[in-house]
Amino acid sequence: MERESSVILNDLARAVIEMDTDRARAVAAEVIRLKIDPYMAIMEGLAKGMDKVNELYEAEEYFVPELLVCADAMYAGIEVLRAHMPKEDPYSKKKIVIGVMKGDTHDIGKNLVKIMLDNAGFEMHDMGRDVSYAKFVDTAGEIKADVVCLSTLMTTTMDGMQVVIEDLKRAGINSKVLIGGGPISPSFAKNIGADGYAKNAAEAVKVVKGVLQGIPLSSVLIKDKRELVSIERSRGGTR
Amino acid sequence: MSIGEMTPKERMMAALSGKEMDRLIVSPLILNWASRTTGIKVGEFNRNGEKMGNAHIACFKKYRHDVVYIFTTTSTLAEAMGTKMYFPDDDAPQVETPFIQSREDLKKLKPLDPEKDGRLPVYLEAAKRCVDAIGDEVFILPVIGAPFTTSAALRGTDTFIRELYTDPEMVHTLMRATTDAAKVSIDAFVKIGTVPITVEPVATGSMIRDKHFREFVLPYLKEIYAHISSYSLPGALHICGKTKRVIKAMSESGAAILSIDDIDLLDAKELVGDKVCLMGNVSPADGFFKGTPEIIREMVKDCVAKAYDSPAGYIIASGCEVPLMTPHENMIAFLEAGREFVRLPIDKSKLESEVKVHIHRTSSEACVH
Repeated sequence: MERESSVILNDLARAVIEMDTDRARAVAAEVIRLKIDPYMAIMEGLAKGMDKVNELYEAEEYFVPELLVCADAMYAGIEVLRAHMPKEDPYSKKKIVIGVMKGDTHDIGKNLVKIMLDNAGFEMHDMGRDVSYAKFVDTAGEIKADVVCLSTLMTTTMDGMQVVIEDLKRAGINSKVLIGGGPISPSFAKNIGADGYAKNAAEAVKVVKGVLQGIPLSSVLIKDKRELVSIERSRGGTR
Repeated sequence: MSIGEMTPKERMMAALSGKEMDRLIVSPLILNWASRTTGIKVGEFNRNGEKMGNAHIACFKKYRHDVVYIFTTTSTLAEAMGTKMYFPDDDAPQVETPFIQSREDLKKLKPLDPEKDGRLPVYLEAAKRCVDAIGDEVFILPVIGAPFTTSAALRGTDTFIRELYTDPEMVHTLMRATTDAAKVSIDAFVKIGTVPITVEPVATGSMIRDKHFREFVLPYLKEIYAHISSYSLPGALHICGKTKRVIKAMSESGAAILSIDDIDLLDAKELVGDKVCLMGNVSPADGFFKGTPEIIREMVKDCVAKAYDSPAGYIIASGCEVPLMTPHENMIAFLEAGREFVRLPIDKSKLESEVKVHIHRTSSEACVH
């Protein structure tokens, strides 16, 4: 008997939440067999599961190993689905440079953002961690990046973000700059002239899309105080 | 009546044996920062035992802090076992290529020789120089990566902690190897008259859950501290980042001192203060690096007020490594405030805050250099 697509989407989400890589692959194969839209399966199934994982992580019910293994399950499902996705999507030609600031080697948060943006169809250029200011600027210039994403988990390296933003301007590079990570707040983003701020990987996709449509930072920011509280309490994602 | 000024070593001995002291111990985690005293770059400091030793000796003579730590990165033991490090010019080294890339690579693991492997000889020389020059006044504490942290650096942190789920057997195999290596390096450091302590930041409470800590970390830590105790030395365990969820398990490791970072000292005191001596936790980033002397004074006061009466003892310290960019004035502010507030008997009236300073903490994750 064929299962309802809503049940299958739910199953995909559960496979991610329960860290079940084999199940994620098997259900993704079922998606293809039943000719369910693979893009919908990612967004409404796998990515939704990952959203829930992020919630569990913020609530300190999940920790870093869980986060990584859940992401593996999500990725395994995506790989099966990707082969069956229409090649052209609205963001595939947009280029994003992403990396962790010089002096910081915590990169799980950055990796999650990369996965999410990659899933959303952007062309990702991952600089890794402990990336020098010059390398961000040079790469953005070289590939004509549409967006540069800067990540840090440490207060000691957050000031470097402003340096990168200023150097980009000085070099005449018009890439939009998105920043994020544990100690980063929306007001900090605004103060140093960033174009966008995202508090987690799921939000990063929305913010990048918003920024590319020219939506100003102020309206992508905090809607109410609750969010501020959660930023204060947020463990910043990752290392 | 208070007694006269003791040397840091006399003070530590009194603390350990429960004898009368002039004041509690004041111990900023001066590690790579010591290089600032002799004006050398960290890249020089961490690859030359003579320079590292001389920097710590000069630093101690300048600041007279109660403990001298010998450390540059939590990955030093993994490096000695085979992990390749990247050495920035003026910052702590970082893991470049983890040694164990596959199960096959486990065969490459050899018993550790601290006299030869990696940069352990550099640390041994630096520590020995300190013992010779200032060892009659202060204890020298080399800081050794504990098994979970060393295993992470040996395997690659992301891969290693995934394997808590996907390959627990691999995790235990690595924990066995790194525990053995840690014990051998402890032997070497004890032999030259130092008191090795251990750091386990990868097992911090925001990284892994209590259940994993108890299953994969605690049994090996117990073995380490039993080994240290066999020399009649006290064990000290440092875990930075958020530790509230794992501090009970930490207190069961057999370590006599827990050095902690992002946790309210009142919580720590309530949870484990009757079992272990607490050490901490002025914020490295918001205090030492970015704070002013006034802010640091308030932070020290806040810590002392919360923990001076912790039943098994208290040491005022930085939560984690003193950042490289910490200005001299901030170090002085920490040491002066520390020495003033922990003079015995504790003057409680001094611990009341005249000004309400909002002590803001931003850094919350473990820092793994």
